[in-house]
Amino acid sequence: MASEPAFDPRPILRALQDHDVDFIVVGVMAAVAQGSPVYSRDLDVTPSGAPDNYDRLAEALRSLAARLRQPDGNGLDFPIEATFLAGNTTWTLLTRAGVLDLVFMPAGTRGFDDLRRNALELDLGTGTPVLVASLIDVIRMKEAAGRPKDEATLPALRQTLEVIREREAGGS
Amino acid sequence: MISADLLKEARLRAGLTQAELGRRVERSQSQVARWERGDVKPSLETLRELIRACGLELWFRMANYDDSYVPDIVDNLSVTPAERIERAVTFVNALRPWGAAREAAHGI
Repeated sequence: MASEPAFDPRPILRALQDHDVDFIVVGVMAAVAQGSPVYSRDLDVTPSGAPDNYDRLAEALRSLAARLRQPDGNGLDFPIEATFLAGNTTWTLLTRAGVLDLVFMPAGTRGFDDLRRNALELDLGTGTPVLVASLIDVIRMKEAAGRPKDEATLPALRQTLEVIREREAGGS
Repeated sequence: MISADLLKEARLRAGLTQAELGRRVERSQSQVARWERGDVKPSLETLRELIRACGLELWFRMANYDDSYVPDIVDNLSVTPAERIERAVTFVNALRPWGAAREAAHGI
């Protein structure tokens, strides 16, 4: 049986920041950061697909002792190298701080540059702001992905957007 | 702002600029921008036409109104993003024993 480490996105974010990786937090944790009452035990990020970013990403993943996460939840060693990482658009990894999903091309988007336009800069607890996909972009990704688990989160995400909009309109 | 959000979502999913979408529906880029800002609200028929021009279909379904998330959202918005993450981490890790028990029951 798999023994997954306790989940904490902050050490993962810190490692990415320490290695100057260009990335955007997407998925449920991006929604959580903006107030949505949803939860996940993995961190989804969209790294930039720039060639030198793969090198920095590989260094960060090595520092996190990243392994491929298998369907049974166990980790499998793999070559953490830029060229290997560039060979796939999605990676599900097990790190010392829990599950990290690298999603270079989230459903309904064109990746990092597309999401960066509306991204927010938020401190998620590392002391340094990171780019976080806007709530409307998180909704766009969830809508496009269309899996039951994505659709299940949409009412909470849409309601969060509505509450934020109402507050903005009310000036509070 | 619902129509504005839906329109922008559809346009971005299609990878179109406002001008490109405008050309597809024979409207100006500035008109598309007004719709997306919510300055002008398109009719439902126009919204459906715009979304179809993005290669997508707008589906309609009625459901009971549910605002049960609002108290939690309001509570979350009263703290910083870092505190929201802290709350989420605490919550999911508190559930780990149940997850492990479920996996054991299913032989995972």
